[in-house]
Amino acid sequence: MSTGLIAAEPRSATDLRSIAGEIGFLPALLVLLVAGMSAVDPQFYGTVNILNILRNASLLAIVASGQALVIVAGGFDLSVGAVVALASVVTAKTMATTAAAFPGNTALIIASGVAAGLGCGILVGLVNGFCVAKLKVSGFVVTLGTMSATAGVGLMITSGIPVYGMPDNFVKGFGRAQAFGLPTAVHVAIAAILVMVFAQRRTLFGRYIYAIGGNVDAAVMSGVSIQRHIVGTYVVSSLLAALTGILLTAQVGSGQASFGGDRMMLQSIAAAVIGGVSPRGGVGRVEIVAISALFLTILGNALNLLHVDSRLQPIFLGVIMVAAVALDELSRRRKSGV
Amino acid sequence: MHLPPLNRPPEKPMDTDIDPQLVPPLLRLRGISKRFSGVRALDRVDLDVRAGELHVLFGENGAGKSTLINLVSGTFPPDEGTFHFAGDAIHNFTPQRARAIGISPVFQEFSLVPSLTVEENLFLGREVARSGVLRSGQMRKRARALIDELGFDLDPSRRVDDLSRAHQQMAEIAKALLGKIRLLILDEPTASLTERETGRLFELIARLKSQNVGLIYVSHRMREIRALADRVTVLRDGRHIRTLDAATSTDGELVELMTGRKIDLLFPTIAHEPDKLMVDIENLTLTDGSVCDVSLHARAGEITGIAGLVGCGKSELIRAIYGIEPTASGTIRIDGAPYESPAPRRSLKRGIAYFPANRIAEGLALSRSIRENASMTVLDLPAFARFGILRQAVERTRIAGIMAQLQLRPPNIERPAGALSGGNRQKVMLGRALTRELTVFLFDEPSVGIDVGAKLEVYEFMKRLVEAGAAVIVVSSELPEVLALSNRLYVMHHGRIAAELTGAEKTEQNVLSSFFRDHLTAEVA
Amino acid sequence: MSDLELSVAAQETGREKLLPARWLWSAILPIAMVVLVLGFASFDRGVLSSANLLNVAQQTSYLALFAMAQTVVILTRGLDLALGPTVSMVSVGTALAMAGAAATGHDPSAVLLAGLAVGFSLGVACGLFNGVVIAMFKVNPFVATLGSYNVAIGVATTLSSGRPVQGVPTLFSQIFYGGSVFGIPAAIAVTVAVGIVLHLVLARTVFGRSLYIIGTNPRAAAVAGLPVKRILITTYVLCSALAALGAIMMTARTGSGEPNLGGALSLQAIAGAVIGGTSLAGGRGGVGTAVLGALFITILSNGMNLTRVDGYVQMVVLGAIVIIGVLLDRLRLERRL
Repeated sequence: MSTGLIAAEPRSATDLRSIAGEIGFLPALLVLLVAGMSAVDPQFYGTVNILNILRNASLLAIVASGQALVIVAGGFDLSVGAVVALASVVTAKTMATTAAAFPGNTALIIASGVAAGLGCGILVGLVNGFCVAKLKVSGFVVTLGTMSATAGVGLMITSGIPVYGMPDNFVKGFGRAQAFGLPTAVHVAIAAILVMVFAQRRTLFGRYIYAIGGNVDAAVMSGVSIQRHIVGTYVVSSLLAALTGILLTAQVGSGQASFGGDRMMLQSIAAAVIGGVSPRGGVGRVEIVAISALFLTILGNALNLLHVDSRLQPIFLGVIMVAAVALDELSRRRKSGV
Repeated sequence: MHLPPLNRPPEKPMDTDIDPQLVPPLLRLRGISKRFSGVRALDRVDLDVRAGELHVLFGENGAGKSTLINLVSGTFPPDEGTFHFAGDAIHNFTPQRARAIGISPVFQEFSLVPSLTVEENLFLGREVARSGVLRSGQMRKRARALIDELGFDLDPSRRVDDLSRAHQQMAEIAKALLGKIRLLILDEPTASLTERETGRLFELIARLKSQNVGLIYVSHRMREIRALADRVTVLRDGRHIRTLDAATSTDGELVELMTGRKIDLLFPTIAHEPDKLMVDIENLTLTDGSVCDVSLHARAGEITGIAGLVGCGKSELIRAIYGIEPTASGTIRIDGAPYESPAPRRSLKRGIAYFPANRIAEGLALSRSIRENASMTVLDLPAFARFGILRQAVERTRIAGIMAQLQLRPPNIERPAGALSGGNRQKVMLGRALTRELTVFLFDEPSVGIDVGAKLEVYEFMKRLVEAGAAVIVVSSELPEVLALSNRLYVMHHGRIAAELTGAEKTEQNVLSSFFRDHLTAEVA
Repeated sequence: MSDLELSVAAQETGREKLLPARWLWSAILPIAMVVLVLGFASFDRGVLSSANLLNVAQQTSYLALFAMAQTVVILTRGLDLALGPTVSMVSVGTALAMAGAAATGHDPSAVLLAGLAVGFSLGVACGLFNGVVIAMFKVNPFVATLGSYNVAIGVATTLSSGRPVQGVPTLFSQIFYGGSVFGIPAAIAVTVAVGIVLHLVLARTVFGRSLYIIGTNPRAAAVAGLPVKRILITTYVLCSALAALGAIMMTARTGSGEPNLGGALSLQAIAGAVIGGTSLAGGRGGVGTAVLGALFITILSNGMNLTRVDGYVQMVVLGAIVIIGVLLDRLRLERRL
């Protein structure tokens, strides 16, 4: 009996420490940033600004959570930005075409557009996954190639001109609508993140992704089928990128090949890495990546409000990213040194 | 606690009166061959394992034991030969298949994912799930029940990378015992366990045998073989030498079969002439705690041996001297002068060379040529490079000369190091010793993965070094090897020096009992 | 057993038999290039005109320079995503320094010197940052250079306010773009010279040897006492210095400091190196693979331009080529089994 009590105490202490270790200093930084900005500039907590932040953070969080999944499994997905653009263009174009063929049939128009957008996300994901898992080509190079190809296809479809002709229901009724005082993108993002958290923690798929990223040999020895799950990570990543593309399209009201792009890709990797996803694979949690996406968005917003030259902003992003990973490595070294 | 694997009734209840010879064996391998990198790891090996039997695989490092158990576990397919399990011919064998038919391996190199918890690792690949959703509560309950039943002191919710080596070993064993098993493979399972945990494991083995589970057990330890084995198969140089009944065979017979010659013939007689104090270590403790408060010394003109079980800190100790394990406290003196914060480059400049146990991971750049591999440690010397520019002609003649001296076969130094056999790879490493002025030689498991002939050459090489007046420290898990080579022998246990043996005290008995003594003192304290 | 080990072993066992096959594999890229050129020429005679060939050579020389820079770090299992932004930053910095020096009335040679000094310093600083973060703090090269990617973009656009920097002296362009050595245009001459020197460095110096050993087995290199950290830092500095040199040449061509000059160069340079046969797993490649890859990409896009293939289609083709290139490399390795 007494041993149980003695054992219980240190365990809860280590739990606390490990929780702090896993989440890291990010939430603290976030609170600090919000508190500081609120004190400095009342414009920061104005409704318009907050909604703006949440909308942008949602889009980044969706892409970043897919990216995080790929990184946990030991890869990188450079094609997410291009997929955002392609999905946007394809969705808009499909809706415009369907609208011309079946005028007035809004449900069909929207369904076909969304399906086409998500479909091309899945397609790119399958190509990525197939090349990485079956052909054993480095994920970095494969997604570099599909990034170029996907962006090219997006531009080919539109010749670089925005695509209009989507039903009002889709733009005003969905993209620019609000429910419970929050933009639809926020609801979609929360739903997507909850699903991803559930998938990571409670499903076989999530468990196997961690195992593969943590130690491929052990996963093989334990009978985990590697290829299927690697393909899965790339498909989910592309699918989420496509979802973001559709949300952006609905918000803006036109399909554009300039959405997403390198910037979105780089930011998604930054958000994942700052959110504690180790580029070594096997470690990282979606909910913290979401917080990290929120943090990066607020940081950008704060720098804007403080009239910091927007051109200087990438410097902050770069430094924070490198610092986050360097700190992670240092703490790893200290841990292994104990 | 009721547990499926241990309390499950035997698959085929056998009448003990039946002559085991008449019952088809659980596992039957015939004519199994396997090649790696041009090296024949297994050469037409036969093996039978009966249900309810503990079958020991006995052989030197590199004899093919680990290749064989990897084949049986489905890690890779054989190049030729047939594989029968429970009477069925098995083709296209994979780890998944192995699990499914009840073959469960416990490897020395752990099949655990470091970033997952013990419990997550136990169920890896066979999670309890309904339509893809994990049932964590149920798994937790089963994991706890299994660990309780095994009597291991192991917390299933801890992450594996937070565990000690012994605890990782327990997790590995628990993982193998989860689910249906018919053949359990144990590869030196006691290497990092304490006496008490070893006792629990042996009880468990007895229970599994009574439930008709077949066991393949790899071990070097005579004591364990005596206590557990029903039959012993001896492997040498990838070939099946003989299978004997454990009860009727003697230790000497086994060792002779293993080495292929009388044991005392294997080692050269070395004329030790202890001279100057070359390495003097006082109260050395490493940052990771693997070595704790160790004092030891080595003299020129003698071989100083360090024996101990896997994970006792003996490798870490010499790695710290060379500068690839961080030290926390203590002093190292080389040739009388203090040596602070060691690093490989400075060690070489001071005349210290280190020969790693894992030559693939830490020794050689396999796709580069033998020449480049042998000259890797001398690129800082003006003889090999001036103002940063390589003197390739000098390099070529020097390395070719050294490799000829070491009798590298074939003598072409432009071949990639990866094309060489284990013994020749070790020769490339030894070649480094001849490229520059060195006085202290640290050998970490010098005979791992090389055949008997090459071993002899390595020993002869050490003999020449010592007789030329160098200080040599040999770390080895092969007791006969360190016993025969060393003039003085340190025994390490749990990161500390447990004994220092010289002359007539240097016996296998004394080494083993110093482990035991250490346990007693630990319990008293 | 790693692929590497197996492939090495197989080389030994079947040397005789596989030699012609391996020769064919390594010749695949040059053959593909000849086929491409002839194919394009059948559409448009202009492809083979001396003016176009010179143009291709000149285009190639810039990309080859960047591909060589990238190859040096890829040899150590690294990567420099920041190469493009470094080019932009150096371009802007060089132009600003020269414009500033010219405005304060310094003589032309001092102006040039100021530009070169600032340009190379910025490059070296960027390389130093990458190298230190990667070697000392053990940050994954991808993440580290992604960080400096952002920093360099920030610096380039801030310094230039996002607009081209004017005021580059004509002498600068005359020398580094219009100039020639023995009738060979400056860009080509510089790239050839750099290529020869770099080849000698890789093949004949301790530094070069160390790069290959570190890329093949970093642990073994450290245990053998090679100064791994110092070499890695030097490698990234060398990469960025070569990028700076390329940036200066390109700035001379455009005649202004361009904050977007680097654009997609990071990835193009990686693509060039990889298509040429440099292995992302480290330890395999060199000046030859970098130049070959750069030449291939340039011929392909030049031909597509001349045959009026849509620019967007070109992106798709390039993407496909990158994947096919790596796939071929993969097959080439397996062929050796």
